[in-house]
Amino acid sequence: MLDAFEILSTSGIVLWRRHYAPLASNVIDSLVRDVFIEEKQKPAGGDTPSYKKDRYTLRWTTAKDVGLVFVAVYQSLLHLSWVENLLTAVKGLFLKSYGPELKNGHTLRISTAQWDQTFDALVSRLDTGSTRRQSDALDSEGPSELTPPSSSAGDEGDEPPPVPAPLFKKPATPTRRDVVDDTSTDATPVPTPDTSRPATPARAASHLLTAKGGPGKASRRSRKAQTFATSAPASSGDESSTNRKAGKNVAAKGKRRWDVDGSAIEGDDDGVLDYSAPATPGLDTTDRELDVENVDAAQMGSRTGKGQFVLKDLDDEVDAILASSKAPSTTTASSDPATGLLGTATSRLTGLFRNVVGGKTLTKADLQQPLQLMQTHLLEKNVAREAAERLCQSVETDLLDHKTAGFTSIETTIRESMSKALTRILTPTSSLDLLRNVTSTTSGANARPYVISIVGVNGVGKSTNLSKIAYFLLQNQFRVLVVAGDTFRSGAVEQLRVHVKNLSALSQRENVGKVELFEKGYGKDAATVARDAVTFATNSGHGQGMLYDVVLIDTAGRRHNDSRLMSSLTKFGQLANPDKIFMVGEALVGTDSVAQARNFAKEFVDTKGKLRNNGVGMDGFIISKCDTVGDMVGTLVSMVHATGIPVVFLGVGQHYGDLRGLNVGWAVERLMR
Amino acid sequence: MAKLQDWATWALSPSISAIIVTLVISLTLPVLVHYYLYKRAVAKELPTFLLLGPSGSGKTSLVTLLSNGTASPTHISQAPQTVVCQLPSSTRTSEDKYRSENDTSSRNRPKFAILDTPGHGKLRHHAMSSLTSPGTIKGLLFVVDSAMVSSAAGLTEAAEYLYDILLLLQKRHTQGKTSKGPQGIPVLLVANKQDVFTSLPAVLVKSKLQEELGKVRSTRSKGLLDSGIGMEDEAGDEESNWLGEYGAKKFAFGQMQEHGVEVEVIGSSTSGEAEDAGGMHDCWSWFGANI
Repeated sequence: MLDAFEILSTSGIVLWRRHYAPLASNVIDSLVRDVFIEEKQKPAGGDTPSYKKDRYTLRWTTAKDVGLVFVAVYQSLLHLSWVENLLTAVKGLFLKSYGPELKNGHTLRISTAQWDQTFDALVSRLDTGSTRRQSDALDSEGPSELTPPSSSAGDEGDEPPPVPAPLFKKPATPTRRDVVDDTSTDATPVPTPDTSRPATPARAASHLLTAKGGPGKASRRSRKAQTFATSAPASSGDESSTNRKAGKNVAAKGKRRWDVDGSAIEGDDDGVLDYSAPATPGLDTTDRELDVENVDAAQMGSRTGKGQFVLKDLDDEVDAILASSKAPSTTTASSDPATGLLGTATSRLTGLFRNVVGGKTLTKADLQQPLQLMQTHLLEKNVAREAAERLCQSVETDLLDHKTAGFTSIETTIRESMSKALTRILTPTSSLDLLRNVTSTTSGANARPYVISIVGVNGVGKSTNLSKIAYFLLQNQFRVLVVAGDTFRSGAVEQLRVHVKNLSALSQRENVGKVELFEKGYGKDAATVARDAVTFATNSGHGQGMLYDVVLIDTAGRRHNDSRLMSSLTKFGQLANPDKIFMVGEALVGTDSVAQARNFAKEFVDTKGKLRNNGVGMDGFIISKCDTVGDMVGTLVSMVHATGIPVVFLGVGQHYGDLRGLNVGWAVERLMR
Repeated sequence: MAKLQDWATWALSPSISAIIVTLVISLTLPVLVHYYLYKRAVAKELPTFLLLGPSGSGKTSLVTLLSNGTASPTHISQAPQTVVCQLPSSTRTSEDKYRSENDTSSRNRPKFAILDTPGHGKLRHHAMSSLTSPGTIKGLLFVVDSAMVSSAAGLTEAAEYLYDILLLLQKRHTQGKTSKGPQGIPVLLVANKQDVFTSLPAVLVKSKLQEELGKVRSTRSKGLLDSGIGMEDEAGDEESNWLGEYGAKKFAFGQMQEHGVEVEVIGSSTSGEAEDAGGMHDCWSWFGANI
């Protein structure tokens, strides 16, 4: 059963919601953030994709024209197959009832009195009986469902499952139960039902979750009847309550009764422990029938034509909606143009005219050709194929059924939309201010050195970019410790030694900062070298405070498909525990960038197995050698698309000052040129 | 054909009736056309206030509160939206400053629009583009979560966003095309969620933000150059990128006054019952003063 259902607008306001169980608001918040805004989830399954957070699974569908999102939340343990249909049906019905109001815009709230009942009826209709919840809904005002779930058929083995019916069919069921009672008082033992294993786990769950209701009543009654028949109350209580525990043949506990002395009353199931439901049918059948009649009349009376009208029409409407959603949409082919030379010529001319003038509603066929051109354009800019396809896909979904503005052609519209999509991918959620972070870590209460480490494949420019960062930090008066964590490649330590010599000469000349090299030679484990370096820089216990403000750790280059080397990165990440891990990727690399980024990102898990930095793995990309590629900076897009990690620096040369931050407008302009 | 010829002859003849008809048509036709065109475009642009702030600060809740009177449940906004609100009758507008306090005649309650923008990092371009395009933006509300400001990360995020906005306003003023410069936009800093236990009072929020803005200002000035430095012409100027008084050690909101940006602070809460009337009252009076 559902935990919650919400209808929210893209501007953030919840138009309507129904909570069956308390739900924290951050579950849906994280859905919006991760899927819609940050697009961390690749669009996969069909019409209603799913998203998991904590113990919940969320499924949703969107209505783009009015800007609505319909979200259904349920526990991940359950597997509800009818939620997709529910979402489709709800979307169709909601748009039908409230569509015009919403299209007017400026609606912050809509009157949803009628909608509550429609929704309840819809849920009861689509909910396959096995997972229906009794009328415990927290804030539902709909008519309470008192028909027992069909899985209670196991109780009385020969009773056909009662049809899940709306309220006015109720008088039938008590009589059926009386009939069953008669049969069981015939001193024949109740046959052991053969529902020893539930058909689906969900049905078992429903047994566990329903606290009271039909099966309880019936079984208690049958148990009472059997108490008179046989004199072993516990055993007959067994069978029926066994059914309630999903057919496990465990000696079920009889309900415990206490008398005034505080001792247990044995074997007495006469008393009703659950006072919310009437105990004996005989006494209150008339009551219930009266209730039924009352509710019936009120229902029919208050919503005379309309009340029943809603339910009946609901069925038809819902069928129509579900059928139409299942059938493949063939409407696009409806407006097929004329044949023949004259026909095609005129249609091309009108198409061209509309293209120039604007005001054209875009269809899939319209968009296909220009999008193909746009994808080729992106591929020429060195964007990986996967990223280019996904970008074009998102532009297509955005622009489908969209009306072009006045005097803009399709190509212009696509370009604008593509620029927006690229800007959104490249803009980071929170921009990195390295100086700010370093200052706040090295000053204040518990000051400690700021640890940055650089990783990447062979030959991308890790040591070079590391020295550029060191130069930048030195200019800002920090004391930098460069750690030679590349203990494998011969000459790596000497290379860093040269860099440090240059940097210290530069810093002494300008009298800023201090830089030194920490190395342990070749052949050692890089993780332990890093840890020792951090300890050395922290210099705790020697009374002088930190020796260095920033620790920059260089690592060995490694191929991303070499699993042995990649796994040593995990240990490195855990031992050294850097504040920032940057991966260097060169702008020249082609489609390999996606695989590189992914493989590196998934290595950095902490001791609990969670990826660092909110689940993305690394803290940023440094794209090096950007001066060599000119306009073809597509690697930026590929790497960000693959992992969701933002680009923080760009390397634009081989001198110490050639380090830049990323300006998104510049990058997008280069790509769209 | 004969009828047409007759009619044409009459129309071009110097008879009185023809002259009168011509006069009537030539005088009323432009008037009718004017009315037709301007009726369609007559929806006068309402004064708009821009609502922005870091994600999770309560902007959308505030908008629902101002427009409907009660705050609806909300989630993270993905798209901006414009909402039309009306000043309550008890609030004085700037027009009312010429009225006496005891004037009991009914005043018209002006309407205004609030543009609510998403606060998520990737969607801040909506707010930025609304500021750069000239429009009827009469004021800006910057909403912060008073409880988040007490933590270092939340304070930094709010300060960075506020820095970007204030710098944009300053550049808009200093780099205006005309010598007079565009009209200044007042900024109202709303310290929201005052009902939360760990929230800081509004005055403290203001001082913390000022401090943090000073730090952000200094690190931004020392930071790396952008990759797009070749693009704009005046981007390299150090002074234009320095918020407030150039070379000043500390930043204060008063330094923005020379650019026409007046910053005020109020506290507010969208979920309080009786006491939020105080917060909202300040808010309404600021609206009234700046419409």
